[in-house]
Amino acid sequence: MGRYIRRRLITAIPVFFGITLLVFLMVNLAPGTIVDLMGEGASSGADRAALEQALGLDRPLPVRYAGWLAGLLRGELGQSFFYDRPVSRLIAQRVGPSLLLTGSGVALAVVLALPLGILAAWKPRSLWERLASLLSLVSFGVPGFLLCLGGIALFSVTLGWLPTHGMYTFGTFTSLADLLRHLLLPAGVVCLSSLGELVKQTRAACLEALGQDYILTARAKGLSEGAVMVRHAFRGSLVPVLTTILSHIPHILGGSVVVEQIFGWPGMGSLLFSGISQRDYPVVMGVSVVTALTVLLTNLLLDLVYGLADPRVRYGKG
Amino acid sequence: MEVHAYLPRSPWVRFRASRRAMLCLAVLGLELLAVFLLPPLLGLEPNVSDLEAGFWASPSPAHWLGTDGEGRDLLARLLCGGQVSLLIGLSAAAISTALGVPLGLLAGYRRGLWEFWIMRLADIVQSFPSIVLVLCLVALTGPSAGNIVLVLGLLGWTGIARLVYGNTLTVRDQEYIVAVRALGAGRGLILRRNVLPNVISPVWCSIPLRAGRAILSESSLSFLGVGIRTPQASWGSLIQAAADLTVLTGRPWAWLPPALCIVLTVFCLAGIGDGLRDALDTRSRRLPA
Amino acid sequence: MKKLTVLLLCLVLALPLAACAPSRDATAVVRYGLSNAWDTLMPYNSPSGSNYTRIVCDKLYDRLAYVHADGTLDPRNAAAWESADGGMAVLFFLDEGAAFHDGTPVTAQHWADTIALMTDPDCPALGRSVFNVLAGTDEAGAALPGEALGAEAVDTYTLKLTFKTPTTPEDFLLDRNREFYVLPTHLLEGTDPAEVLELPLWQAPVGSGPLTFVEEIPGSQLTLAANPNYQLGRPGFDLLVITVMDKSNLLPSLIAGDLDYYAFGGNLAADDRQTAEAGGITVLEGTVPNSFYELMLNNERISSSAVRRAIDLALDKQALCLHTAQGLGEPTATDLTPGTAYTSSLTWSRDVEGAMALLEEGGYDGRTYSLACTANRSGLAALMQQQLAQAGITTTIETVDSAALFSGMAEGTYDMAIASHTPGALPLWFTESRFSPGNNIFHVADLTPYTGLISQIKAASDSGARQALVDELQALLARERPFLPLWFGRTLHAQSPTVDNIDYPSSSFSNENVWEWTLQAG
Repeated sequence: MGRYIRRRLITAIPVFFGITLLVFLMVNLAPGTIVDLMGEGASSGADRAALEQALGLDRPLPVRYAGWLAGLLRGELGQSFFYDRPVSRLIAQRVGPSLLLTGSGVALAVVLALPLGILAAWKPRSLWERLASLLSLVSFGVPGFLLCLGGIALFSVTLGWLPTHGMYTFGTFTSLADLLRHLLLPAGVVCLSSLGELVKQTRAACLEALGQDYILTARAKGLSEGAVMVRHAFRGSLVPVLTTILSHIPHILGGSVVVEQIFGWPGMGSLLFSGISQRDYPVVMGVSVVTALTVLLTNLLLDLVYGLADPRVRYGKG
Repeated sequence: MEVHAYLPRSPWVRFRASRRAMLCLAVLGLELLAVFLLPPLLGLEPNVSDLEAGFWASPSPAHWLGTDGEGRDLLARLLCGGQVSLLIGLSAAAISTALGVPLGLLAGYRRGLWEFWIMRLADIVQSFPSIVLVLCLVALTGPSAGNIVLVLGLLGWTGIARLVYGNTLTVRDQEYIVAVRALGAGRGLILRRNVLPNVISPVWCSIPLRAGRAILSESSLSFLGVGIRTPQASWGSLIQAAADLTVLTGRPWAWLPPALCIVLTVFCLAGIGDGLRDALDTRSRRLPA
Repeated sequence: MKKLTVLLLCLVLALPLAACAPSRDATAVVRYGLSNAWDTLMPYNSPSGSNYTRIVCDKLYDRLAYVHADGTLDPRNAAAWESADGGMAVLFFLDEGAAFHDGTPVTAQHWADTIALMTDPDCPALGRSVFNVLAGTDEAGAALPGEALGAEAVDTYTLKLTFKTPTTPEDFLLDRNREFYVLPTHLLEGTDPAEVLELPLWQAPVGSGPLTFVEEIPGSQLTLAANPNYQLGRPGFDLLVITVMDKSNLLPSLIAGDLDYYAFGGNLAADDRQTAEAGGITVLEGTVPNSFYELMLNNERISSSAVRRAIDLALDKQALCLHTAQGLGEPTATDLTPGTAYTSSLTWSRDVEGAMALLEEGGYDGRTYSLACTANRSGLAALMQQQLAQAGITTTIETVDSAALFSGMAEGTYDMAIASHTPGALPLWFTESRFSPGNNIFHVADLTPYTGLISQIKAASDSGARQALVDELQALLARERPFLPLWFGRTLHAQSPTVDNIDYPSSSFSNENVWEWTLQAG
């Protein structure tokens, strides 16, 4: 077991460096720096040089990478060019809202997808299956921003039920109901965008399980269809569904860029997008590296758990 | 529950037997024909402003879908945007496949350092939420259809490589492969003749899905301001007009057709993927199509 | 099935939640939308130097005056001002009722200390160049050793600013007021100037503006409270919550009642007028130009002035303005803002044949020029491309973001680029910054004719002489056409349904009269 853990950790090291190098190079080779953003504000050459020096942009690339990496290992992500404060502090303020939004969106999707997927598998050509395919269609086919804008136009502008933006009506937490009202629309979009895949996987896994011999046995024993579905088919499909949910974590974090941007949600996605449009390299680097490293860490932990649970994994994988 | 007969039919025969898959294929085929043939046939000009018709003209005999904010014919833009969107989707999927299959085969068959580095590379790419890398890279290379295809294609190989890799691992040590190897067949030959045919079927099923996803990614990029450049259009960039409340509520003809096109295309691609899966995978033939 | 029941129950529970809007309780909150984020709350250290930062700092810190859109001035921290020392200096008589949020009265010494600190060569303030008009500073605004700094407290409430060249109070305020803020220097005593910008103070600032700091999520949200002791009056609300959101959501939020106002001045595209009115929003028409559109040219790549003039003649500015501003604007031949004290007799007209003749004269070889624009201007660029093609000039359009556009122009990547600016009331508001050796974005080979005239205009104190020099400069610009002035645009303002007394047009000039805003009851 110890050997497996060690091996798994060793594979994580090149990935860690790969992630950091990729992020650094990507961001630092982009044309246009924040200095040019001052163009509209008409800056002088002396200003530019001073600004570049103040922001550390005059140093060569490898020096900047080494400095950034050393900082990263100490948990420092550098100083934001734009916001003039540590990136780690900016991210710390954004993690909570992002987790709340994507977490509740995905949780909602899971809660809806499991029964829908099971019902769709259980009763083919029923209303449930139609509903499942309709939802999948919307989820797979309609671009997220259209869902956001349409949701705002319908539920906020026309019906006046839900707020259009932000987390709270008055800027701070007043009541849970207030927070939930603000959460409903963006979380609904996040939910809808991952719902299709989840329903599809649940349905497929259930169908797969239904074809297995043990289900036939259970049926032969005279168990009711409902009991077969819930006790056996559903349980048998749990692992692949769980894997799908987990494999969606990075995707879902990224998918919220558009949602957060439109709804003015103070999360990581809107921070990343503003970082890109403002050429704020430390912020872009910080957000992408933190997301990627979180995913790396999650995968590592999952692999270790799988390894504990299943000896085949331990010996089978290189 | 529908049970297919276990007759040794070719995949194409089985695929044809699925009404839904065939319908999807037909619709997609028609779509491709329409977007590539109609503009020259109808003499549609996607980039010419009809200053007489004016900006945001309603649908009329002269402009079936009206004009956009620059006075350009929206039907022409819808069709030409379709060329771009479909090309982006299909070529991104093709690039991903062309990269993912050999890399997955190499990693799974040769193992050792090949496996280590190829799979680590996949780990690196897959650690990012896809939109983060796509957004950054497209912003870096400059938004153009070519760059978007490249970025989406180059980043999409990991899923396919993993699929191929996993299957290759199970296939490589099976007796017939070991036997062929013992007979002294070259590595390339074994990979091509014996391994590839046995690992490729799930790849076929995932290509249409990937194409659909690439089309959607392009539309997100358009919204975030790094989509393809004007005056070129894509379905994604056309839907983006809906970002304005006036267009969204008052001029549905401007954004609804491209939105419906995307939904229809993604739906058809998924249907084709399902059909391929059922046709190629003997194990799931017990499932209802 | 149980799950389904639970689910349905949840939905039923969620419905009343969605239906009941929270009441405003006792606190009167103004919800303020902004499409881009401010960067810092330290006004002299803004890396972007953007109007978004200015409009936020405008609330927290006090400025000398309030600038109206039409160029008229109202007192703010300075109750009155007069010229002194034969035009070389201005005396500002400060409002004696002004105080910082911690209760300390604002004195002339605070202003003098602020300027002394920010111009200190050891202090790395990014926005220091705003002080370079003051005597005793260099081009970058750093204080010169051994020279007297042109900012001193004559007495407790009299501030004297001395300039390098004769400057009227109005010229100075129109040009620089939005960047002169008074800092709480009594809280900075004993701090090393090199470290003053790192103080935690700037993350929870104490200013003397109409609003006080409460809380901030950088890049997303800022909560401010009314300053009950503001010398011009207490704002008619308790809290102001500024939220950054996508610009596509600003108008929907205003209509839905989730915003009370959005910056700048509730500006509204002409196309959205009907939607706003249908949503119950009153729409005001702006009276003063608030945008200036230009076509930047790379004079190195388009080296012949005849070709540059041909491009000018080939463009139908009226059609371009109609397309972008839906007629809310006037095409122009110069960069002089209409309605201000300085005018020009130059006119524009489209002449495709004249353009073709000039192209021949200039030896245009049929090469394709690259035309850069931001994504929201792509339609304008396409129209321009079409017009230029009619005169035989071929272009390719490059859609880039604003940063890449300006860096691309500076580096010579693009041959032309569409840009817009907030115009000023001064005759040199545009030209002075564009024709300086440090910022030769048009790649003009010889700047001296321009810089010479510009410094003469700055030095001219008599308005008649100044107008003559301005005419001369405009004639030179018309001959050389280093850039193309397109039009001055006006805007529409979506009026707040809930807040009264908003001076909408002045918002584009980076100040807002929040102390006069009152939130309607109910």
